[in-house]
Amino acid sequence: MNLRKSMSVAIAVTVLFAIGCRRAEKAAKTEDAKQRGREESLAVDISGLKSEDGQPLIVADDSPLTPPQRPADPEALPLEDPLHWYDIEYAGWKCEKAKQPESPNDGCKGKKVVFLKFVDHPYHNAYFNGMKKVADAYGIQVKTMVANTDINIQAQQVDQAINERPDMVIIQPVDAKAVVPLLRKLNQAGVPVIASNLIPTDQGMPYILTWTGPDDWGQFRMLAHEFARLMNNEGGYCIVRHLEGTSPYYSRTFAMMTELKKIAPNMKMLDMQPCGLKAEAASTLVSGWISRFKGELKGIVSADDSGAQIGINDAIKAHNREDIIRVAAGNSKVGMDFVKAGTLHAITYQSAESDGALPMKLAADWFMGKPITKSVHYLRKHIITKKDVDQFMPAQW
Amino acid sequence: MPDATNERGMKTPALQASHSGRRIGGWIDRNRIFLLGAVVIGVMAVMAPGFLTAQNMSSILKTTSVNIFAAVGLTIVMICGHLDLSFGSTATLGGMLVIGLQPELGWAGGTFAALIAGALVGIVNGLLVSRAKIGSFIVTLGTMIIVQGLVNMYCGGGTLNVSDFRLADFLDRDIWVLSPRVILAIAAVGAFAVMLSSTVIGRNFHLIGGNPQTAWYAGLSSERYLVGAFTACGALSAFGGAVNSMATSSANPTSGSKSLMLVIAAVIIGGTSMKGGKGSVVHSTVAVFTLTALINGLGLLGAGFEIQLVASGIVLATIILYDAVSLRRQERKRGIRPDLLAEMRAKRPGR
Repeated sequence: MNLRKSMSVAIAVTVLFAIGCRRAEKAAKTEDAKQRGREESLAVDISGLKSEDGQPLIVADDSPLTPPQRPADPEALPLEDPLHWYDIEYAGWKCEKAKQPESPNDGCKGKKVVFLKFVDHPYHNAYFNGMKKVADAYGIQVKTMVANTDINIQAQQVDQAINERPDMVIIQPVDAKAVVPLLRKLNQAGVPVIASNLIPTDQGMPYILTWTGPDDWGQFRMLAHEFARLMNNEGGYCIVRHLEGTSPYYSRTFAMMTELKKIAPNMKMLDMQPCGLKAEAASTLVSGWISRFKGELKGIVSADDSGAQIGINDAIKAHNREDIIRVAAGNSKVGMDFVKAGTLHAITYQSAESDGALPMKLAADWFMGKPITKSVHYLRKHIITKKDVDQFMPAQW
Repeated sequence: MPDATNERGMKTPALQASHSGRRIGGWIDRNRIFLLGAVVIGVMAVMAPGFLTAQNMSSILKTTSVNIFAAVGLTIVMICGHLDLSFGSTATLGGMLVIGLQPELGWAGGTFAALIAGALVGIVNGLLVSRAKIGSFIVTLGTMIIVQGLVNMYCGGGTLNVSDFRLADFLDRDIWVLSPRVILAIAAVGAFAVMLSSTVIGRNFHLIGGNPQTAWYAGLSSERYLVGAFTACGALSAFGGAVNSMATSSANPTSGSKSLMLVIAAVIIGGTSMKGGKGSVVHSTVAVFTLTALINGLGLLGAGFEIQLVASGIVLATIILYDAVSLRRQERKRGIRPDLLAEMRAKRPGR
């Protein structure tokens, strides 16, 4: 009886030991595989990648994020006060992150990234090219879903993305505010998210690993300085706004307006209207402004240097008002051709490919276990004028 | 000479075949949207990875529910022989009001305000169409633009949102493939389906749209019914917009207008006649579901948005073509005795 008991115990111990050994071996193998994957990805060098315009593909602005003191109630301040826009301009600069998924720390090869694209547009196609260059370098698979500017479709795509259990979601929010519940949903489903291009409001920032994109507020403040210089710090101006509901709808209007108020108080904002970024609508809008404000209108700021700028230039030509100073958000082929021709005086440099490359680079970093410390990653800022436009040719889109 | 009936008055096989063929044709015609839905789901289930999972079905149903309320309202208006293009803007208005008024009036108050606003838009449409005798296309095109303008004035062109997600979490919570917002939409469909098919009021909507002269002889006030139909469409669209906004805690100034083409296409695909007198809210709902499932499946297959639009367009075009062919066939057959046709077929050489 005792012998049988002892044998049973011995067998049980042996089995348990064998299971333990097997598990340890498996864990060691998994750790080995993770280590190998990580090393393989770390060995990839993407610093030499270039955009179509010959500029480096990865151009991040490394300056630290130091926001001013937040007013108690920013919305109570007048629209011309830069701090009125505090929650949009400094969205996520300082934020308490919600619980984020842990990095797999095993490298990038074979990782699946779902890219939720805002719209099929030449800029966003160039954006995707930049993203794909980085993804291909690291062996990351990308699946794209396009919302075509419809937040309801993007909501459905978020559900689809959650169902597919990807390793990462890179999302271009369709709407700065309406995307917040979607980011929250992704976060609660345990899917790591990098938002890009269009910045969500402050409320959405805790749910994402980071945000990448152009510093629209910073760019337009820089553009305001150039615009004020071109306008000799005086005269009336109008603003052609971006699509309603998007972050540039605010930034490309109020960064300009608030900065001009500060640096050129003699400049007067006459009107601001969106035109759906369409040439015909922009032309009608600007024709109306020229008829309404006559000689008082000295300058036009546009949220877009392609479709909208074509309409603006058409209207100006039709009214024979080539004296009107024009600046815009850039840098499309159309916009840069206009700059070369002297019918657009300054544009912001916003590399579409770099815009797409940066979130994928950060996703790769995260897969390799590198910490993402900054909650906002901006692209380098620059203003293109006739003097240096050739450096940025051929255009990316 | 062979007869379509034999000496005992029984139908010959040729006549029976003709009758059963017509019965099958009629059955296919009546249930074509269910067949189309089954085909879309069947094909996507085979081809699109992850299409038939509970999570994906839940996602499709949630997206469908966004447009169901407007589809039900539009079906009623189209049964009356009219069109309402303003339902998208009215849905946006409903969504904006419920989010914008939530801090002051709470969810219930905001929803009530949205319903009232939607009903008012509908009343204006209905009065202009029925009293001023202006075409519904023109009237509702005008109100669509005006309401969209008012929405933009109200929200300053930007999105409104609230940071309280509790109601959104509740409405969006999955109960297998359903969720409270989907159940709400199904309940609305059920209520209006019963109203249209089993009540005098519902049958009168069909009569007014299908045969206005008979409706007039029957003493029905077409004005009242038209105002009622447009009011129902406005209120339902606004309520749908409100539910969607509550489920997402935000209201976007352009979201409703994006539904315009999909809902109109779905109602037509669902078999609602553009000439009035014929339509079913259940069929419209299944059509919205089918189009949503088609777009979802194509998305899972990696097709771009343009492909999804083309596919929806092809479905719509096919249905319209099918309708046109059936109408032509019916007109050709009008006045022809089926037993004579059967007899002619039976006499054809080689049979």
